[in-house]
Amino acid sequence: MIKKFLAAGIVSLVSMHPAMASDVSQEKVISGWYNLILRLVRHTATYSPPLASRNFAYLGVATYEAVASGDPNLESLAGQIHDLTPFPKREVGKAYDESVVLNAALASSMSYYFGNTGPSGQNAMKSMTSKMETGVTVGVAKDVADRSEAYGEAIAAHVIDWSKSDGGADIKNLGFPEHYELKKGPAHWVPTNQQGMQQVPLLPDWEKNRTFALPTSATCELQPPPDYSEAPDSEFYKQAKEVHDTRNALTPEQTAIARFWSDDPMLSPTPPGHWVSILIQIADHDHLPAKKTADALARMGIAGADAFIGCWQTKFKYDLVRPITYIKKFIDPKWETLLITPPFPEYPSGHSVLSGASASVLTAVLGDKYAFDDATHIKDKIPARHFDSFEAAAKEAAISRLYGGIHFRAAIERGLDQGHCIAAYALKLKTEK
Amino acid sequence: MSKRLQFLTYSLLAAFPAAAADVSMPKFEDRTATSGLNSVYKGDWQYMVGGGVASFDCNGDDLPDVFLAGGENVSKFYQNRSKIGGDLKFEETTSGTEVDKATGAYPLDIDGDGKMDLIVLRVGEIKLFRGLGACKFEDATSKWQAALPSAWYTAFTATWEKGNSFPTIAIGSYVDPAYEDDPWGHCTDNFLLRPNAAQNGFQPGLPLRPSYCTLSMLFTDWNRSGTPSLRVANDREYYQGGEEQLWKVPAGGEPKLYTRDDGWKYNRFWGMGIASADINGDGYPELYVTSMADQRMQFLAAGADKPTYRDAPYSMGVTATRPYTGGDERPSTGWHAQFEDVNNDGYYDLFVSKGNVDVMPDFAQKDPSNLLLQKPDGNFVEAGEKSGMLNFDEARGAIVDDFNLDGRMDVLIVNRRTNVRLFQNVSSDAGHYLGVRLSLDGPNRAAIGSWIEVKIGDRIMRREVTSGGGHASGMNGFWHFGLGGEAKTQMRVIWPDGAQSAWVDASADHFYNVTRKGSDASLEQVH
Repeated sequence: MIKKFLAAGIVSLVSMHPAMASDVSQEKVISGWYNLILRLVRHTATYSPPLASRNFAYLGVATYEAVASGDPNLESLAGQIHDLTPFPKREVGKAYDESVVLNAALASSMSYYFGNTGPSGQNAMKSMTSKMETGVTVGVAKDVADRSEAYGEAIAAHVIDWSKSDGGADIKNLGFPEHYELKKGPAHWVPTNQQGMQQVPLLPDWEKNRTFALPTSATCELQPPPDYSEAPDSEFYKQAKEVHDTRNALTPEQTAIARFWSDDPMLSPTPPGHWVSILIQIADHDHLPAKKTADALARMGIAGADAFIGCWQTKFKYDLVRPITYIKKFIDPKWETLLITPPFPEYPSGHSVLSGASASVLTAVLGDKYAFDDATHIKDKIPARHFDSFEAAAKEAAISRLYGGIHFRAAIERGLDQGHCIAAYALKLKTEK
Repeated sequence: MSKRLQFLTYSLLAAFPAAAADVSMPKFEDRTATSGLNSVYKGDWQYMVGGGVASFDCNGDDLPDVFLAGGENVSKFYQNRSKIGGDLKFEETTSGTEVDKATGAYPLDIDGDGKMDLIVLRVGEIKLFRGLGACKFEDATSKWQAALPSAWYTAFTATWEKGNSFPTIAIGSYVDPAYEDDPWGHCTDNFLLRPNAAQNGFQPGLPLRPSYCTLSMLFTDWNRSGTPSLRVANDREYYQGGEEQLWKVPAGGEPKLYTRDDGWKYNRFWGMGIASADINGDGYPELYVTSMADQRMQFLAAGADKPTYRDAPYSMGVTATRPYTGGDERPSTGWHAQFEDVNNDGYYDLFVSKGNVDVMPDFAQKDPSNLLLQKPDGNFVEAGEKSGMLNFDEARGAIVDDFNLDGRMDVLIVNRRTNVRLFQNVSSDAGHYLGVRLSLDGPNRAAIGSWIEVKIGDRIMRREVTSGGGHASGMNGFWHFGLGGEAKTQMRVIWPDGAQSAWVDASADHFYNVTRKGSDASLEQVH
């Protein structure tokens, strides 16, 4: 341990030497790559919200480990997350450049996790790789740059190798199985649109994936949804009527909220990407140190990935019908949602679970009264919104699904609870020594 | 056996359960190797879309000649040397339209001189070629004052606004080529080219803002108001804050987008190609928009007052989501779409060209184009393989046209990086047919904006005479109607000004030149 500490100390001293330091800071490396990641999540068709959550977790771990490997005060996540073995060690007594290490880890991770992106995404990755590589190596001795790059790539390779066995690495048909038998009965999910792809639910086996920090997919399982009923005085009917009435009387503000948190795959960075975007905006705006951003990226990635696994466990256990199906059948045949109803069961709300988990992490890392502006969708002509806290943002994200007409209240409120429960495991991870 | 008896026999056989089919199966043969066609749509990123063909007669023999976009290759022009009813034969000739960087092309008699002109979409500047006769053309882009800023042009459609003798042309563009490393959100302007005061050229291009990386445009009178609107299919891969569009284009007035308040729904997909036809016989055109994964057939849902469309039921069989054969289970990538009756049973069928953008691992690499046959119940069934059209080329634009005037629709497909492919329709049991070419004197000779109606028993098959749509590909010539077992029929025309002709008798299995006498249609049998 003492040897390791000393070695790390030498590394830090060397990398602080002006003649040896990259002109591009670790903060800029994170910001540059993550802004591209957010664009590629939108433009890579496989990136449904569950897959996005998974890959944000691996990218977050790679980012964190690259930063932590050069910081004697940070603890590796190896041994703390399921099946993550110790990372390769740096050569003792040799100098490394931290920006080069981090850049190599991210560039290498990107080429793997976005291997499926189209020709424009591939061009963008090549361009970013070239620009970053040139930038981070300016002022860095070649042997240091080469060693640092190789080490960053080794970190990425370790994460990639670990990720291959989690059950979520091989996505076929954008996540829609070729065969799936719908459960019988009016309480259960049925397709909600006329698209051939979506006549079956998205990723019905996602709960079988290996969790990260969460003990099992069922650790934070929710109580059952309100009993299915078609009786007008039943709780189920009342919740459906609430969705119907709310949608039909939306205020401009409610409509704006629903659109802001819509986060549709292939039209946005998805819900997990929205929360990563919030973090990256804050990191840029408030000049967060790389180690803090990396810590948050790792924890939020892990919590988000576990949130989708846990949420999917509950979704497919209860397999609840969507509001549009029920409302058209029993309340108003001409009723339409504001948002696109996602192609999988209703309970609980995935965005609510994810937002609850993400807000828990950001609150723990940055504080519970951390006000911020969120301009994630500004280029899509959706104005920025201001929040006084991460929990306020999570609550708004959750209720947006009611305004959008795609979730009942129980799925929203309990979804937030499930997210908080799941995030607690990510927050137990030790990063500071 | 007469065609009528042949058709009835087949229909009876088809009705018998053991026949296991309720559509007449067309038969296609691949005639690429013997056709004389040899053209490759070549190029990398800037040619991942496009790859079009224009089909029209330019030498007066009524057989469709073809222009083939070549991307980085120089485009090629082929005159049709087929004998009527014979094997498909083409000969490459020098036309004056040979240009590089061509993505697609559409025929249109712009100046109404009776000689077809050609609009060529390019990466760079568009070209308007004026037909000189005998398949010779001159570049009239400057003469007609049609120059537009350099861009990646990918879409075209045209109409004649009321009172004009020169057309109004909409040109669509895609991504700004300067942003290859970060193309998202960098859509360039679409333009409307309207006639100048002298009606001999165009005013400066009117930008249609916002523009959202367009891949297909079609002027269509969606509600039969007499004034077509501009439907625009946009690729969500590249726009930010965009959606599918429908522009109100009042004659000479300011184009305005239909909004949510008007009933236009918020639709966002990878819009790539547009086809239209009145599929359900309600008098309004259904629209089919190609995309990645699910293709969208859309029906007018709230009457003629609102441009509100609903997706066709999944059970209709038109989503063409995945390859229907070949073992690649990943979702498809659709490009050109065209409704034509390929088995002449009196029901529109649907051809959809397919092919991976390049090497997109999320989408099928072996992605055969679809031939969807419409059944009498309105649903469609896949016939690509059974009809002999199965292949795994990386298809782009295409044209379904009758290249040897035998009354059976053939299919010409442009492929990315490989030669075009030509399928000749050799069906022996196709039903009767009717070929109709509208010919007005003076401007708008092809009577764009008309509706042709043909009786098939107690049904009416109708189609809007449009110019544009598809994927970078268009045709101009005879409009094809399958008649099933009907040896005689009646047809009428609703002219662009709304005047309606009387019903006119027509014999099946002939091609007619239809001219206007007052409101009426005068038929001249030409083949």
